[in-house]
Amino acid sequence: MCASVKYNIRGPALIPRMKTKHRIYYITLFSIVLLGLIATGVFQFWPHSIESSSDWSVQKRSIRDVPVVRLPADSPVPERGDLSCRMHTCFDVYRCGFNPKNKIKVYIYSLKKYVDDAGVPVSSTISQEYNELLTAVSDSDYYTEDITRACLFIPSIDLLNQNALRVKETAQALAQLSRWDRGTNHLLFNMLPGGPPDYNTALDVPRDRALLAGGGFSTWTYRQGYDVSIPVYSPLSAEVELPEKGPGPRRYFLLSSQMALHPEYREELAALQARHGEAALVLDKCTNLSEGIPAARKRCHKHQVFDYPQVLQEATFCVVLRGARLGQAVLSDVLRAGCVPVIIADSYILPFSEVLDWKRASVAVPEEKMSDVYSILQSIPQRQIEEMQRQARWFWEAYFQSIKAIALATLQIINDRIYPYAAISYEDWNDPPSVKWGSVSNPLFLPLIPPQSQGFTAIVLTYDRVESLFRVITEVSKVPSLSKLLVVWNNQNKNPPEDSLWPKIRVPLKVVRTAENKLSNRFFPYDEIETEAVLAIDDDIIMLTSDELQFGYEVWREFPDRLVGYPGRLHLWDHEMNKWKYESEWTNEVSMVLTGAAFYHKYFNYLYTYKMPGDIKNWVDAHMNCEDIAMNFLVANVTGKAVIKVTPRKKFKCPECTAIDGLSLDQTHMVERSECINKFASVFGTMPLKVVEHRADPVLYKDDFPEKLKSFPNIGSL
Amino acid sequence: MQSWRWKSLWLALLASWLLVLLGVFPLLRLAVPTRPRAGVPQGWPHWLDAELLQSFAKPGELLEDGPQPPQALRGGSCNWGACFDTSKCRGGGLKVFVYPAAGPVSETHRRILASIEGSRYHTLSAAEACLLLLLSPDTPTGECDPVPPQWDGGRNHLVLSLHPAPCPRTFQLGQAMVAGASPTVDTFRPGFDVALPLLPEAHPLRGGVPGQLRQHSPRPGVALLALAEDRGRWHVAGTDFSACPWDGRCEQDRGPKQTHPGATLPNATFCLIPGRSPDALHFLQALQAGCIPVLLSPRWQLPFSEVIDWTKAAIVADERLPLQVLTALQEMPLTRVLALRQQTQFLWDAYFSSVEKVIHTTLEIIQDRIFGASAHPSLLWNSPPGAILALPTFSPSPSDFPFYHLQQGSRPLGRFSALIWGGAPGQPPLKLIQAVAGSQHCAQILVLWSSEKPPPTRWPKTAVPLTVIDGHRKVSDRFFPYSAISTDAILSLDAHSSLSTSEVDFAFVVWQSFPERMVGFLTWSHFWDEARGGWGYTAKRTNEFSMVLTSAAFYHRYYHTLFTHSLPKALRTLADEAPTCVDVLMNFLVASVTKLPPIKVPYGMWHQEARPPPLEPGGPGLTQEPQPAAHNCINQMAAGFGHMPLVSSRLRLDPVLFKDPVSVLRKKYRSLEKP
Repeated sequence: MCASVKYNIRGPALIPRMKTKHRIYYITLFSIVLLGLIATGVFQFWPHSIESSSDWSVQKRSIRDVPVVRLPADSPVPERGDLSCRMHTCFDVYRCGFNPKNKIKVYIYSLKKYVDDAGVPVSSTISQEYNELLTAVSDSDYYTEDITRACLFIPSIDLLNQNALRVKETAQALAQLSRWDRGTNHLLFNMLPGGPPDYNTALDVPRDRALLAGGGFSTWTYRQGYDVSIPVYSPLSAEVELPEKGPGPRRYFLLSSQMALHPEYREELAALQARHGEAALVLDKCTNLSEGIPAARKRCHKHQVFDYPQVLQEATFCVVLRGARLGQAVLSDVLRAGCVPVIIADSYILPFSEVLDWKRASVAVPEEKMSDVYSILQSIPQRQIEEMQRQARWFWEAYFQSIKAIALATLQIINDRIYPYAAISYEDWNDPPSVKWGSVSNPLFLPLIPPQSQGFTAIVLTYDRVESLFRVITEVSKVPSLSKLLVVWNNQNKNPPEDSLWPKIRVPLKVVRTAENKLSNRFFPYDEIETEAVLAIDDDIIMLTSDELQFGYEVWREFPDRLVGYPGRLHLWDHEMNKWKYESEWTNEVSMVLTGAAFYHKYFNYLYTYKMPGDIKNWVDAHMNCEDIAMNFLVANVTGKAVIKVTPRKKFKCPECTAIDGLSLDQTHMVERSECINKFASVFGTMPLKVVEHRADPVLYKDDFPEKLKSFPNIGSL
Repeated sequence: MQSWRWKSLWLALLASWLLVLLGVFPLLRLAVPTRPRAGVPQGWPHWLDAELLQSFAKPGELLEDGPQPPQALRGGSCNWGACFDTSKCRGGGLKVFVYPAAGPVSETHRRILASIEGSRYHTLSAAEACLLLLLSPDTPTGECDPVPPQWDGGRNHLVLSLHPAPCPRTFQLGQAMVAGASPTVDTFRPGFDVALPLLPEAHPLRGGVPGQLRQHSPRPGVALLALAEDRGRWHVAGTDFSACPWDGRCEQDRGPKQTHPGATLPNATFCLIPGRSPDALHFLQALQAGCIPVLLSPRWQLPFSEVIDWTKAAIVADERLPLQVLTALQEMPLTRVLALRQQTQFLWDAYFSSVEKVIHTTLEIIQDRIFGASAHPSLLWNSPPGAILALPTFSPSPSDFPFYHLQQGSRPLGRFSALIWGGAPGQPPLKLIQAVAGSQHCAQILVLWSSEKPPPTRWPKTAVPLTVIDGHRKVSDRFFPYSAISTDAILSLDAHSSLSTSEVDFAFVVWQSFPERMVGFLTWSHFWDEARGGWGYTAKRTNEFSMVLTSAAFYHRYYHTLFTHSLPKALRTLADEAPTCVDVLMNFLVASVTKLPPIKVPYGMWHQEARPPPLEPGGPGLTQEPQPAAHNCINQMAAGFGHMPLVSSRLRLDPVLFKDPVSVLRKKYRSLEKP
């Protein structure tokens, strides 16, 4: 449109001799051709420009091409680190803001090369490890490109090794970062702090309020809850293949593999070896190696040459002594070899000590006690040593083995401080996967017997058997501890009877109508449930006596974390078919109870509705069967405990349904139930049900004792 | 001319349309997928020459960083390795010497000293002690502590001040450790000092009030938040809570105000506690109430933070993000709320509910530091029954204890040792030995002979090994952790007990499901005797019970260790003097650990006819009423524990087909049903 307007204006000057009639044609023609050309041109160039721009940013960049920044000699230097910094004083948490995923956002400054006034570089631009670290952060969920939304900033200035940089100039480089602001929310990584002669235990570069993830902190420099203590990465982790070696006794009891030890320590170690002979091995640098063999990979004892780090796998305990620095890369090698580190470095803050339980993987011996180290270690039982070996290897795998693991663990620690309510637990940090898999953490672990006065809520699931329902209501209302009755009306086509028709009972009666006729509705955590104890009961269970129900509730109070029910069922392994089988015969064992009438904690309703693994809930609703088996699986899986069957009752026989209770129906029923067990076992990935041989009866049940003095005399029918 | 013009016009039109069609459509097609691509974060670049980058450390630099001589102490600040001399502590664990009170002290102070002196850590000689404990006086009128005689620069000293010091200390702390109430984060030396809770004035010395939690999950409709206010009061806020009352400045519209006078406990799911030091007092209240503490940037060290994993029981949040914290609390999953709630109660009961527990916890922490590798694992500190009741000297492995099988994914060992306490004149209990040895689960029989007379030389031949141990003729000997006991389960028996093999079998199978409880055949029940104004107990058959007799009971061997090494000596002496008391004591011990009743299994009535009359009056008889002395015993025990730990049960565990009208051939434990 624009173009045509233009021509309209200029028209008379360009084509003066044409008649007005033709002029219009030509103008239209030209404008159309022009449009076409423009469109073609755009098509020709646009897509290419997209591709090339993305190509350009991801690849084809060289470290040598990074922009150079000249630091004037008088540019500002940050203050020294503030030792009193804590998260709530020095960290600007407002930048992190609300975040539905509870993840901090991390920004990485782009890489620059800093030079001083004379053009001499401040440090080597970036090391291989720091590049790896920033790549890992950039690939993680924490990364953001948007500097304005970031909560944590990581400079691309490489501080890993203090010896590779010029302290003052690096500080100046930090200070001129665009969001530096006294270092607030800046995270610096350093593995080798200090330098000769006094080797400080924290990075000497003035950094004001910046957080320091440092290797080799001591109690005097570490700001607890603010800094993060990280391992010193061992490049051997990537260079050397070292297959895992299981725990167990090894050739040497104690090994020292460090090369640079103070003579005083070496004397102590030599004395140790003299005393314990073969069991202790103290290695040193090799002096007479032929050319070409990397000295870092060999250790010697007298004239014997050992391969490092392989030799570590031959030892049960490996000494990790303080050198000039507290943090030693050998710790990583030792853990990897499954050798239990014996840490002799007073005041050393062990890597990730904020979250890792080092007692489980290492032995700390005070420097003063070095001469006793052997006897201290000998007092540790073999079982515990094996546990520690396993733990050491797991720590290496999870938190030491790569720069990426170190970076992500550091960010996770900081993340957990900022979003403490979403923090991962001690077990998540410390338990090796094998333990996590085998262990159960019961959600109702506190030994507690709820007061009887609380009572229970009966939930009756019904469809349309109103008469039977009313009888159940009348019967259940006789139970002294009933505090509320909830009828779940599962029929969408029919309204529940009018209020006036319902039986008059002494406790509140509520009817909830459901949106769909689903079996799961029975296990929904209705707001109306005010008690912890829930009695799930079918609308045809009229045979249970008031004593039986009251006793069931009393038993639940003693076992509030279990399913407490009446008829028991069993699962069996069918050796012929090689699968699970459902058993309802009169056996000496039980592993399930029917939920046609069962007491349980209402929390399990929440679990059933919201945390049921896999597609079990849908399967139950689709098959209109096995909701009770699913509940038994769920509770057993989460608590690791068996059900409690109460009283001798064996089945719920409803008088009305005897006619259809035929043999063939029974058999298809059994097949279906067996199928459920197999299906659920495969979804859970294990068979959580526990088999027991006991049931609960009243103390004086069937005892030779006057019936009228018994609390629950009316118990006993099958 | 005209037609050419027309022709050229149409040609141009066609050509241009063709161009447009060719151009625009592919362009559209291409443009769509490229749009999201433009937004992809580019991230840290993949450098072309990344391979050429140098490692952060020069080869060899990591291995040889220049040897450094051992470091001298730095500026007087202490840590465990440098300032504590563990050489005095070898063998026998922690031995504590307590400085006697100098000058007049308050009654509480005197009782605390007495409590430490009665504990398992105490030693009378300052020379053999590895820890010297100095209890700061709690009254402003008392003498301000003079320098104690064995001070030695504070080495191996622990200065324990349960309440903030009323008067300034007259001497330098030097190398002494400080256990103070709610120390500020800045002065606290982690791993060296011990952080105590800030206790209220009238904290009970022993036993203590149990936690207030009556149910696992919060009651529906209970307030989400309670806010700590001045002087131990709480402001309960409704669920429709705005950030307004947060900083305590805005006064209007604070919702239904439920400010209680004095120090009442909050009734809410979460308790907001500001970070200022005086508010630390609220922390204990919240724990007791089972109200999950939400600490807003606390400036004080959380109590016993060296060993207690507070992330399991409390939330430490940033006070600067009120709305975020609120939302997080509202949206917290039920499972987490449940876990946090229960943990508050467990911690309260295990470590905080009495002054004695606080002191014992402090000493356990120091003992753990001395033990090093054989200290309590974190699991023992952070799950019931807690580290004071789980002695690390018993075993380094949690799965050897009866409490942690679930967390460890382990099971108790599949067999038991029968421990028969004999010493009565007459023949060895042949029938009993045969019945027990007949059990498929029996691993060994140990006879604990505690009589003046030498044991019989001839014992029946049994399929399992039978060992005779010479006891020390004291009743409490039967609960000594004999090294000969090789299984987790112990079947404790008297020489005159009578049991059948299938009773033993069934009881053992039940015990395997409840390894932390006692599983017994004969029961007693306790009751509150209004007339006498004290506790009483009866052996009459009733509808409930709270104790099982140790003359025939299964329990975990750990309870022998606990009985011998953790009970105060006074209670064990009491049991030695009145033999029936030993049953009460053992039941008290197990109940105080588990907080659950014991388990009763069926016991054939026919045993009673075959049974000889009990030997001592008030001895473990079935129908015999305990003597008045026995009533005295239960009250003395209750006083010794500081509370009544026994819990009643109304059920008995029977075999699944017990006394059911089905063929006996179906039944596994059919001989249990003899009339």
